[in-house]
Amino acid sequence: MYGSLDISTSGMIAQRTRMAVIANNLANVNTLENSKGDYEPYLRRAAMFAPAGSPNDPQGVQVMDIQSNPNALRPAYRPDHPNADADGNILVPDIDTTTEWVNGLEASRAYEANVVAAEATKSMMAQALRLLA
Amino acid sequence: MLINDLSTSGALPTLEKMFLFAGQRQRIITNNIANIDTPNYRGTDVDPRAFQKMLGEAIDERRERTGGAFGELNLRQTRQIKSNRSQLQLNPQTPTPGVLAHDRNSRDLEHLMQQLVENSSTFRLASDLMRKNQNQLKLAIAQRVM
Repeated sequence: MYGSLDISTSGMIAQRTRMAVIANNLANVNTLENSKGDYEPYLRRAAMFAPAGSPNDPQGVQVMDIQSNPNALRPAYRPDHPNADADGNILVPDIDTTTEWVNGLEASRAYEANVVAAEATKSMMAQALRLLA
Repeated sequence: MLINDLSTSGALPTLEKMFLFAGQRQRIITNNIANIDTPNYRGTDVDPRAFQKMLGEAIDERRERTGGAFGELNLRQTRQIKSNRSQLQLNPQTPTPGVLAHDRNSRDLEHLMQQLVENSSTFRLASDLMRKNQNQLKLAIAQRVM
């Protein structure tokens, strides 16, 4: 029974991590430079989930990797920018706020589902303990 | 009734098996919920109706063997449900049906929640009946009538 709680917790941790990645994408939607101040547009990141354990011994879900997509850039016309090319374009992060918002919604609903499962497990544990009383 | 038959008489072995099954199945259901957003993940399950059928067969077998409602219950071993005296091991192999989403995950939140509720209710039923059984035993030991 404690295994069930561990599994629900792994789901909550994974969704929380995903939410952090989404928040980071939204926060950096206009970031054009890295922490040293060099021109390096922010690349959109995504959390990759994978099942943990084996089918016979399930242990929930884990975040395998937080990948950044090197192609998530789009040109924008900013002729006054010091890094603009001959046509006056620079590359900016290609982050669609609507997509991020929907992903965030999905993560928060999945988190809720895990909380419900954990509550059910907790009430079952309480039931089992009442046998002793 | 001999004292060592106390734990194997009546419905107690059946309730114990129900208890173990619901406890193990909870792991499978929570795992399916935890992987609700994992790409390429197909949910698995052990059919509770198959388990109940096995339980029914074991009760019939016990009745034939001992001629009454007492004695150990011997569950048939299957690929998905293996049991020995005090443990039950579930190897879920049935992929849950459902339409694959764009990330090739067969998520179905409504069914998952239904399974969760059914499983907790089974667990609750088994534990309530077990407690009732225990209380009756206590009363009998105290030589009181309800």
